[in-house]
Amino acid sequence: MSTMVFLNPTAMEAGLEAAFAALDAPSDAARAAFARVAKRGLPTRREEGWRWSDFSAALRQREPKPVATPEDALDASPFVDAAPFECSIIDGRIVTPEAAAPDGVDISVSAPLAPREASADHPMATLNGAMAQRALQISVADGAHVARPILIRHIAGGEAFSFAQSNIVVGAGAKATIIETYEGEGAGFYSHLNHVSVAEQAALSRVSLQTIGDDAVLHQQSVGDIAAGAQFRQTGLATGARLSRAETMLDIVGEDADVMIDSASLAEGNRHQDFTTHMRFKARGCSVRQRHKSVSRGRGRSIFQGKFEVARPAQKTDAQMAANALLLSDGAEANHKPELEIYADDVECAHGSTCGALDEEALFYLRQRGLKEEAARALLIDAFLSEVFDNIDDETVRGVFRAGVARWLGTL
Amino acid sequence: MLTIENLHVAVGEDATPIIKGLTLDVPAGEVHAIMGPNGSGKSTLSYSLAGNDAYDVTDGSALFGGDDILDLEPDERAAKGLFLSFQHPMEIPGVQTMTFIRTAMNAQRAARGEEEISAGDFLRLVREKAKLVGLSEEKLKRPFNVGFSGGEKKRMEMLQMAMLEPRFAIMDETDSGLDIDALKMVGDVVNALRGAERGFLVITHYQRLLDYLKPDAVHVLADGRIVKSGGPELARDLEASGYEQFIEAA
Repeated sequence: MSTMVFLNPTAMEAGLEAAFAALDAPSDAARAAFARVAKRGLPTRREEGWRWSDFSAALRQREPKPVATPEDALDASPFVDAAPFECSIIDGRIVTPEAAAPDGVDISVSAPLAPREASADHPMATLNGAMAQRALQISVADGAHVARPILIRHIAGGEAFSFAQSNIVVGAGAKATIIETYEGEGAGFYSHLNHVSVAEQAALSRVSLQTIGDDAVLHQQSVGDIAAGAQFRQTGLATGARLSRAETMLDIVGEDADVMIDSASLAEGNRHQDFTTHMRFKARGCSVRQRHKSVSRGRGRSIFQGKFEVARPAQKTDAQMAANALLLSDGAEANHKPELEIYADDVECAHGSTCGALDEEALFYLRQRGLKEEAARALLIDAFLSEVFDNIDDETVRGVFRAGVARWLGTL
Repeated sequence: MLTIENLHVAVGEDATPIIKGLTLDVPAGEVHAIMGPNGSGKSTLSYSLAGNDAYDVTDGSALFGGDDILDLEPDERAAKGLFLSFQHPMEIPGVQTMTFIRTAMNAQRAARGEEEISAGDFLRLVREKAKLVGLSEEKLKRPFNVGFSGGEKKRMEMLQMAMLEPRFAIMDETDSGLDIDALKMVGDVVNALRGAERGFLVITHYQRLLDYLKPDAVHVLADGRIVKSGGPELARDLEASGYEQFIEAA
């Protein structure tokens, strides 16, 4: 089977072609995926859903360099105090520890994942499907309550293009916490595709901290199924990258599932941070609470796109989405696109969106009480963001997120 | 202690003059009250003395402890011991009340080159003062002023005043919206702080608070100027006869 190639390739496309040609025996599915990518190209601002985050433009002139991150160069994770079981994905290469996984957890490395319907036509997921060679498999047995968090460190080094996958399966009635970090000073392109399955009555808490370097381009996508009575909590914070997009696509397929999704973007310099979510309600009586907060300064840009799609059987859906942006300078920007698409008639769905500057009256109040201007600003920004981390139960883990905010504010 | 000479303050994009040549002296150890009709400039006076940059001081001076404070930042004025009890205190979601008060105390102490208050000392002090102003400990654990009634917010202002022990306090309509018990509490807090080295400027519409505070002097503010000064009896006269005579005079 021949692989279709890009016509008039850009530096990036030529690099992708060379990287694909160098892969070790890609599957037919991977070849087909690469052909589709070559035909359609990477998403551009002319496409719905990519208007504000143009990966084609951001990557056009980039040529992937060979992977160079040495494995033993990792500093301790900021989450070390939460005593996590630590795996890493270093420039796309999956490293699992030799130590035994916590009881009830099975960790392995597999062949790439089969695409899920929700993202089968997604251009970045298709690219990932063409290029990724391995998937990290994390499976939590039915009924296992895993107290120890499982940490997946995504390390961005060098200027490589890297692609990896993971699959998190939480069995019926099980409980687990997954921490993901996107870290390192790399200036390449990092693509990660994550599949999540939360079985009946299970509870998964997933937190993600993105602090990668100024020139990195990152695309991460989580595609999940949430079963009946399951609980899913997700909290994401982004302070890094030149361009990043974190996508969450959930199919809420079982009755009475309970989902809370929180995200925060802190964009400064020329950073561009995008949180895009798409939730499809397919069963009765499910509840979603979604909060997004962003703070932009300099020429930083924050994007939020959130969509609730409520199918006809999903009566008694209770879904709320709120996005609030704080702009700290004239060049800062926030773009929100909340969407509701509702086919059931007995639902409560709402969205709200605000955008503004710091409240001058509150600032004056704090300064009258003796706080210097910078301290007063930092306090108000921290207060604006604080509720985003309320759903992180583990105090140590929550502390790392709060410290990430403090570092950004310069108060740590 | 606070000596204001010929103060002029303008507000808004069109620089509307609000305070128009105000002169006032509050010596150390005294409580002075300012009364006046709506729109006479009472809040403008308190905000401009506290350093809110939405209020543009166009002329005059305000000496506090011998230094002109009008060029100082709001936090520098606070560190010198100037406190403003706000007419409409802010709600600040996401900020824990105790954390905030301790942060404020320590910011002022740091600016004065003093040591931070220890966690234990702070806790003892805040519990004692909360009892004095009638706020429950449960309220202290909430985000700052969030879900508080108007009266509770004023109690929170008094708690901060009691904790910060300012050298000079401007109380901007602290009594508005308070019931009799709360008025008495405000009187108790002020009277407990009263001393030879401390001054108060109490802005009010009503004479009632002054029954508890027993001011040393009462001034009438109308159209941006002090138009009459006198003793506590002036407040009672105003209660009886209203401000109309002064509006016409101004």
